[in-house]
Amino acid sequence: MKHLLLATASCLLAAAPAFGQTLFLDDATVIAPNGSSRTADIIVNDGQITAMGDTLTSPDGADVMAGLWVTPGLIASKSTLGLVDVGAESATNDISANTDLASASLRAADSFNPRAAHVANARRRGVMYSAIVPNPTGDTIFGGTGLVASLDGSDDSVINDAAFVHVALGETGARRAGGSRAAAMAQLRGALADVRRGFLTQDEGDVLRRRDAQALRPVLAGRIPLMVSASRASDLLALVDLKADFANLNIIIVGAEEAHLVAADLATAGIKVIVDPLENLPGSFATLNASYDNVLVLDAAGVDYAIGGLSGLGVVKAGGLTQHAGNAVGHGLSRDAAFEAILGTPARWFGVDLGLMRAGSAASLVVWDGDPLEASSAPIAMYKDGEALSLESRMTALRDRYNPTTDDDRPYKYR
Amino acid sequence: MMTFRTCLALSAALIVACSPAKDDEKETTTFELPTAFPSTYKPMPSVTTLITNASIIDGTGDASSANSVLVVDGRISAIGTDLSADGATVLDAGGRFITPGIIDIHSHLGNYASPGVNAHGDGNEITSPITSEVFAEHGVWPQDPGFDEALQGGVTTLHILPGSANLFGGRGVTLRNAPSRTVQGMKFPDAPYTLKMACGENPKRVYGSKGGPDSRMGNVAGYRKNWIKAAEYKKKIEDGDEPTRNLQLETLAGVLNGDILIQMHCYRADEMAQIIDLSKEFDYKITTFHHAVEAYKIGDLLAENGTCAAMWADWYGFKMESYDGILENIPFVHAAGACAMIHSDDAMNIQRLNQEVAKARANGNRAGLDISKAEAWTWLSTNPAKALGILDETGTLEVGKRADMVLWSGDPFSTFSRPDQVYLDGALLFDREAGLKPQSDFRLGTEIAR
Repeated sequence: MKHLLLATASCLLAAAPAFGQTLFLDDATVIAPNGSSRTADIIVNDGQITAMGDTLTSPDGADVMAGLWVTPGLIASKSTLGLVDVGAESATNDISANTDLASASLRAADSFNPRAAHVANARRRGVMYSAIVPNPTGDTIFGGTGLVASLDGSDDSVINDAAFVHVALGETGARRAGGSRAAAMAQLRGALADVRRGFLTQDEGDVLRRRDAQALRPVLAGRIPLMVSASRASDLLALVDLKADFANLNIIIVGAEEAHLVAADLATAGIKVIVDPLENLPGSFATLNASYDNVLVLDAAGVDYAIGGLSGLGVVKAGGLTQHAGNAVGHGLSRDAAFEAILGTPARWFGVDLGLMRAGSAASLVVWDGDPLEASSAPIAMYKDGEALSLESRMTALRDRYNPTTDDDRPYKYR
Repeated sequence: MMTFRTCLALSAALIVACSPAKDDEKETTTFELPTAFPSTYKPMPSVTTLITNASIIDGTGDASSANSVLVVDGRISAIGTDLSADGATVLDAGGRFITPGIIDIHSHLGNYASPGVNAHGDGNEITSPITSEVFAEHGVWPQDPGFDEALQGGVTTLHILPGSANLFGGRGVTLRNAPSRTVQGMKFPDAPYTLKMACGENPKRVYGSKGGPDSRMGNVAGYRKNWIKAAEYKKKIEDGDEPTRNLQLETLAGVLNGDILIQMHCYRADEMAQIIDLSKEFDYKITTFHHAVEAYKIGDLLAENGTCAAMWADWYGFKMESYDGILENIPFVHAAGACAMIHSDDAMNIQRLNQEVAKARANGNRAGLDISKAEAWTWLSTNPAKALGILDETGTLEVGKRADMVLWSGDPFSTFSRPDQVYLDGALLFDREAGLKPQSDFRLGTEIAR
């Protein structure tokens, strides 16, 4: 039996897979998708959870790790991972497109690159899945059709290539639609009305072309969510009204900084919300009431919510997901609720199978060297459906080349 | 010092005597930076306060065995073990942490204020690549709600810089994070001015189609042309001529004189090395590279030249020059013996710089370093104070310094901890339990106003 101290194990991360065939997690704190936690011993052998219980005995030859944390793979409910390499370089940036030919039917899945450096950089911070969201530009409020993907980096990592449609209301929607919120809402309502009627020609819709109406059809039927960026309380109530008229809509509001002012209405209407618990400044007139209390009020009101890292710098915020959730706990949210908002809740919304944490199941889990909600903690092993995932990325390659503790004295470019 | 600096500042390229004036010349003089818009900052009232039973991180980089701090007249009067003081208001910290107030060397609070409406875009004079004549303080709105939130994140001093569109962006200003109706009422008394300069993509992108610079070559040529002008301007004054006052050159001459500290936006390692050579050509010092996403590649060079790097914990990838970001940048620069620090550049990030440092430290240690919390704290207050020229006044908890302190609800390296109290010059400005906090005029009338 090999006993590895945690510090020693951490140093081995440069080599993948980090561990041998058998991993014995002694007294691990295990987080369930609903956020609840328990202490258990876990044996992972060749990607399978072979045993899980209160007091197991370590198999011979296992790597023994005591007192670690285990979660399912985290889900970033909104990111641009795989759509962009360098934000400021338009040739590498497929987050949005200004074209007259298509709006809602623009499929982000057609742009998605699982090999983009940011995908692996986010994965090694414990994020295993993401809803990947295209943004509107030009004169449409429609960003297009988003996808849900695993961040395993493989060529078959797309889980759902038409997972939701994203539109922007509020200030962004108003700007796109011509200058007012009324214009943005007219575009959205007009589009939904277009879907309801048949098209004889490509251009017959009031707002949409035929292909865009087709892309919106599953949204109108409630088979896939309508993801709406909006912040101001009145914009959120406008969506409550919209849902009253289009009852099947499965609305997920992104941003929702003022949701705490209308939490009961959102709960009653069954409207879902993705919030960033760090948003506490009046960054615009749409967020004058931004407050750390937002997520606490939503939780107490029974709103169905997920936590995301939503402010700019999309690639970074996805990687730092646990810090956003951890800060919600710092402001008073229960730990269970914070975990559920980055695990079970988005998994349910986006159809992600987080796997089962029990003996006999293929391992789908992240092993952390500390409390995952602490920004200073990090994954030391990840498995998805029985496969060990690499914790290396372009970042770690740079780190290893320039690590001041290295005894490699070759010139940098030869390391 | 002026005379010495003057000699240093006159480079080999400019043939100037450093010796006293010869008989047949006009009387020489020294260049003195004119002052204007003086600080009117006055500490808020404070009482003699004795904090006991505290865990203390004092900012010196070494572990502290002290558990008590005595504050008299807004200054730290004693720090030690089991202190007592007659008549002092005693606060039993109950084992909670006391640290120096956090100092953010790179903020745009006030000059890109919330709400981020067009009318609040006062942080960058994007009309010419050379705007060393502008002052960040003239664009700072003291009612930016971000100041109040930053205080609640433990930030007691912050440095407001112009943006990075220009080669020479203008003067930065160091502020006390004090509730004030005016910027003058926030200005850190006697803190040196700084000059914001910018490398790389931004100037060439902004001015590429507006007369240049259009490349990194043009950037460097632009710096050099203006340092030459500045040296000439300064020499004229020193030679006893009285040139028409030129605000642009006055700031640059202040740099050559050693009175104004350079704070330079620069991402790429190779570019920082070029800028270090530029500073040698014109005999000035680069105090700090900001953002410095690739500083980890040249930690040795920074250490050799005594230049600090102000960095993020994990921001990268938003433009090409930030593509090589790693999570170990700050600890790697620190390990090379250079002066490393965290910075925010952001109204949200400034509210939890302690978490950013916790992240960076943990990643450095995971990569094989062994950096203590006491050492890592220097990235939050000590090194920023040094790079702003105010370390003799704040940045550490040492006798005689301003009592800028944060009392934390728990370990400041934990995501779950929050400042419980924040003291500025010994005055309690934020007290979570008592509900004491400043609130901007702008937030009044909203539903969340207190």
